[in-house]
Amino acid sequence: MFLDKGKGAAFAFLYGAVLAALAALPFFADLFYQTFVTEVLVWVLFAVSFDLIFGYTGLLSFGQALFFGVGAYAVAISVLKLGLGTGAGLLLSVAAPVVFAAFVGYFSVKLSGIHFVIITIIFALIASTVAETWTGITGGTDGLVFMAPPLNLGFLKVDLMDIRSTYYLVLGVVSLSCLLLRRMVRSPLGKAFVAIRENEDRARLIGYDVPRLKLVSFVVAGGLAGLAGGLYALSLKYASATFLHWSISGHAVVYTIVGGAGTLLGPMLGAGLIMSLEHHLVNLLQATDLVVGSVLVFMLLMAPRGLVGLLQGRRK
Amino acid sequence: MVSNLAVAILNGVVWGLIMALIALGLNLIFGLLHIINMAHGALYMLGAVVAWYVIELTGNFWLALAVAPLVVGAIGLVLERGLLRTIEDKPLVTIICTFGIMLVLQQLVLTYFGGTARRIALPITARFPLFDLQYPVMRIAIAAISLGLMAGLWFFLNRTRYGLWMRGVVQDREMAVALGVPVDKVYMWTFVLGSFLAAFSGVLAAPIVSVDFMMGREILIMAFIIVIVGGMGNLEGSVITAVVISLIHGVGSVFVVPSTATIFSLGFMILVLLLRPQGLFGG
Amino acid sequence: MDGAAGNVILRLEKVSKSFGGLMAVNYASFSVKKGELRALIGPNGAGKTTLLNLISGVHTATSGRILFLGEDITRLSPDRISHKGISRTFQVTSLFPGLTVQENIWAAVQSRKRFLNPFVRAERWRDVGEKTESMLELTGLSDKAGVVCSELSYGDQRILEVGVALSTGPELLLLDEPTAGLSTQESMALVKRMRSMIGGQTILLVEHDMGVVMELSDRITVLHYGEILAEGTPAEIMGNEEVRKVYLGC
Repeated sequence: MFLDKGKGAAFAFLYGAVLAALAALPFFADLFYQTFVTEVLVWVLFAVSFDLIFGYTGLLSFGQALFFGVGAYAVAISVLKLGLGTGAGLLLSVAAPVVFAAFVGYFSVKLSGIHFVIITIIFALIASTVAETWTGITGGTDGLVFMAPPLNLGFLKVDLMDIRSTYYLVLGVVSLSCLLLRRMVRSPLGKAFVAIRENEDRARLIGYDVPRLKLVSFVVAGGLAGLAGGLYALSLKYASATFLHWSISGHAVVYTIVGGAGTLLGPMLGAGLIMSLEHHLVNLLQATDLVVGSVLVFMLLMAPRGLVGLLQGRRK
Repeated sequence: MVSNLAVAILNGVVWGLIMALIALGLNLIFGLLHIINMAHGALYMLGAVVAWYVIELTGNFWLALAVAPLVVGAIGLVLERGLLRTIEDKPLVTIICTFGIMLVLQQLVLTYFGGTARRIALPITARFPLFDLQYPVMRIAIAAISLGLMAGLWFFLNRTRYGLWMRGVVQDREMAVALGVPVDKVYMWTFVLGSFLAAFSGVLAAPIVSVDFMMGREILIMAFIIVIVGGMGNLEGSVITAVVISLIHGVGSVFVVPSTATIFSLGFMILVLLLRPQGLFGG
Repeated sequence: MDGAAGNVILRLEKVSKSFGGLMAVNYASFSVKKGELRALIGPNGAGKTTLLNLISGVHTATSGRILFLGEDITRLSPDRISHKGISRTFQVTSLFPGLTVQENIWAAVQSRKRFLNPFVRAERWRDVGEKTESMLELTGLSDKAGVVCSELSYGDQRILEVGVALSTGPELLLLDEPTAGLSTQESMALVKRMRSMIGGQTILLVEHDMGVVMELSDRITVLHYGEILAEGTPAEIMGNEEVRKVYLGC
């Protein structure tokens, strides 16, 4: 709602305020909390990338973990095995998933509905099986641990061993990505995506090359999911084959649905809220997914437009 | 070598029949209610878990085999009536909702049953000689029971009034309503039957794979793949596909590393989805 | 809307379509002239909607050719055909339900652009905005521009669908039973509005309401079991014995 429809000034003000608050966070919160928020930001990016294909284009994919995992490994392998810098690693964490997404997407967009869901899962399953067995390259489920060299941005050197610096890097990348995504969903391309979501056949008949547009959406989402994975690996200094499992995609699905699909703000709220909930519950209850699952079912039945939908409802 | 192959083939068939039961349950639910039931693997797991509890209490596997599916069937009834009824017409919503249900069921089991896998004692420990190895009679019994249940299912769907109603509603819902078929009840009982089948296969699988709260996760995906490849709504297709895939995987694993066999089976699925999306046997 | 000077813009040559053995369309051949309003009538199951599906690219003909403005469009995808200049409406309304009236029209107007720019705000495309405004006025739905499509009355939705179809600037408009589900009064209102919306396009109209057919069409093609039974002016068709036998003014 705010993030994709709000009028220019109101939006800029709100976004700026939230950004300022987040930027000020390290001055008020301890390192543990900063690490937590860093992680939340990563999942926000992942959820927002899912919202692009699901909330805006209408494609339900449980296979986004593939791109998330590839992005994480792109960073880990660049640094550990290829001796590349962190910057190159981050670039690859977008580039490599884009290539994968183009491949997977090319075949997947030929299908719709349940068949699309299944084929994306199968691709993710193949990838995670490969990742689990090629332990030489991926370290399997134990994964790869690496030391990330400082990121050299020319005017700035970001020390990734420092929690606060890592936090600012992730905050910067995620907030920039969200701005770009907002521009995209309000652009002519974004309008085309929404038309496809609403009525694919009608979109085709008024002249949209639907398979190609679906592929574009899928590739952009894959690239952003990969970036999220890359940031995740950087913040943890770790990548594992478990990152590619389809249940990781489930997180993005839950955050987006609970927050409100098709709104960009929704996945942000959803990720923030659910992760905070889990964070606080984990001391009481080992099975935090119990609450997550229940909240998901509850929201689907009672508030299908998510939290944002509820907020919008009150405004009227 | 021959014995390894023979064992692999038998194991493949036995496991294929178990998967067939799971896939049949999933296919019934999808074919009739158009519900993509992501909780199906969790229902399979619940069958095994409930069976474990029954065996703990009574020591009787056969009692567990009778009771557990009924209990899970009842759970299915509650799920369908309480949660799924209102969203049955929206496929994407039901996928996500049943995903949530899957999480809840898994975590409930994690909380009360615990995270460690438990074994179930085999009721039949005899073995018979197969070439130069000994093969467990239990597995043959499992295969026989699965076939028996499938025969019972066939009989139910083709020779009883309720079964014909179920098939009738799939063919033409409006006609069924016009003829006075209680469509709502049929939907409900179909979901119950699907849950029953999932749980039943969970009990049958338990002696082979041991009981653990995550056991449904990978099964779920395989079940979906079998249903899609075999053809949604095509029950015979599911059975054949389940056994064939299981054989390919089992026999393949004798010659190549299991994960390679997995990757090849998955790749095969993708080909079928792309070239023949209605499934190998679908119409 | 009388038949302008004789260029043929649509020609079907021995077009057939079978669905697993069932011949929905059987060696149909006819041509439509530029500016003409051709009605396609026939009993249920005669193949009228299938013909529209074939022309608009929803289905591909099993055999035969479809030529539009001299070009063979038989095997083209629906989006390519839309860009060639053919638009259609459906018997069961097909719009973008969650989008507003304005957004529905915008989507259609915007579709003509080659490059869907992901870097600018859509509102910056003033030409698209202006065309959308004028199309909204044409449909008479300007005051409902912000209403979500699924909340429109059925009659307004039918009008909107015609508006959406016209927003792509087609040369040929395929209308599939536009008055379906409307009362006589609503049908008359729709026809009146359509008359003012349509300006020079060639139209292929599938209709059951013979009143509408008689009033609007220049020529009529009668379909029966997938075959062309007869073709002619309204007067000729009404006088045709075979047509009367087969198709008692449905």
